[in-house]
Amino acid sequence: MGGQTGFGPVPVGADGSPPFAADWEARVYALATVLRRRGAFNSDELRDAIERLPPEQYLGASYYERWLGALETLVAEKGLAP
Amino acid sequence: MTKVNSVSYPAGSRVRVRTGDPDHHTRVPRYVRGHTGVVVAALGDWPVPDDSARGIDPPRVETCYAVRFSAADLWGSGDHTVTVDLWESYLDRP
Amino acid sequence: MTGHDDLPAAARTRRLEERLIAAGLTSDEEIDEYLTRLYAKASAVNGARMAARAWTDPQYRDLLLSDGDAAAAQMGFGDLTYALRVVENTETTHNVIVCTLCSCYPVSLLGPSPGWYKSFAYRSRTVREPRAVLAEFGLTLPDEVEISVWDSTSEARYMVLPARPAGTGGLAADELAALVTRNGLIGTALV
Repeated sequence: MGGQTGFGPVPVGADGSPPFAADWEARVYALATVLRRRGAFNSDELRDAIERLPPEQYLGASYYERWLGALETLVAEKGLAP
Repeated sequence: MTKVNSVSYPAGSRVRVRTGDPDHHTRVPRYVRGHTGVVVAALGDWPVPDDSARGIDPPRVETCYAVRFSAADLWGSGDHTVTVDLWESYLDRP
Repeated sequence: MTGHDDLPAAARTRRLEERLIAAGLTSDEEIDEYLTRLYAKASAVNGARMAARAWTDPQYRDLLLSDGDAAAAQMGFGDLTYALRVVENTETTHNVIVCTLCSCYPVSLLGPSPGWYKSFAYRSRTVREPRAVLAEFGLTLPDEVEISVWDSTSEARYMVLPARPAGTGGLAADELAALVTRNGLIGTALV
C-alpha cells in the first residue's frame, strides 16, 4: 500500500510498550513462528494468506487479527489440524 | 542455492520495473511498477516469493537487487528517494 | 467462512492453538518458551550496541555497512533469519526504514515492532511524504538533508546507523549505546 492516500496521521503513540497489546497477539505471533519453523508453511505463504483475506477483513482487522485469519486459512487449506 | 537467471545488473545500471498485476502473491509494490530506477546493489540470490507462496517446488532462485527511485519520478513531487528490493524477473533493461 | 469468525480474537486464538496442539504440531510449553526467549533476547539494545561500536571502531563501522550479517555475528547475533543491511545517516543523508507490503522488521535486533510501524498510515505515507511523517514524530530535517527511504520487500532487513551526536567523545561504550534509541535505528528520530 505504498503511496496509497487517506490513512491519516501515524499513530506515533503506539510505541511498542508493551510489545503486544494482548496475550492472544503474542500467542498468534509465537504460533506463526513455531509453525513456520516446523515447516508447516513458509513466510511467503503466510504473507499470501494475509493478502488473500477479503478486503473488508484486511482493512477492518487489526494487525494480529490479520495474522490470525491467515493462520486459520493456512490450517484449513493445508489440513494441518484435521 | 543455484541461480537460474543469467542476467545481471551492475550497481549504477538503470532498470525498469515490469508492469502487470499478477493474480498471485508477488513482492513488486504497485507504486514502482513501470518505473525506472538505478541499481544500488545486488543483495543475494534468493527464492522468488511468487513461487514460494504458491508452493512451487523448487522455486526459481534469482538475484534480488536494491533499486533506487526518485520521488519526483514516482509521485511527481518530493525531493527524497525510495529504494526497493526487487528480484531479477521483476526487472527489464529500460 | 464459518461462524467462529465472530468470536473475539482471544477465543479464536485459543481454539486454533488447541487444534494444533491436538494435532501434535506444537504445545503450550513450546509457545511459552518461545515468548520467554523473545522477550529476553530481542530488543533494541542489540542494535544500539552495534551502532555504538561502529561510532568508536572504524573497522567495525566498515564491516557493519558492507556485511551486516558478519557485523551482527561479531556481537553475538550469528543466527539472524534475514540478511541485515545497515545504512548510515550523514550530514547530507537521512535514512528511514519501512515495509509497505506487510511490516517486515529486524525483530531480533530491535525487539518486536511498534504499532506505528505496522500501521497503514506509516506503511502508505512514508514512501510518499517522509518529511511529513517524520514531522509527526517531532523530527524536522533541514531542506538540504536528503531523505533516503528503504522499503523492505525482500529477505533483507534494514537498520539505520544514526549519526553520533556531538559532545559524546568521552563516553564509554555502554553510555554511547544508551543514547541510541529504537526510533533512531528505524530513522524516525535522531539520537
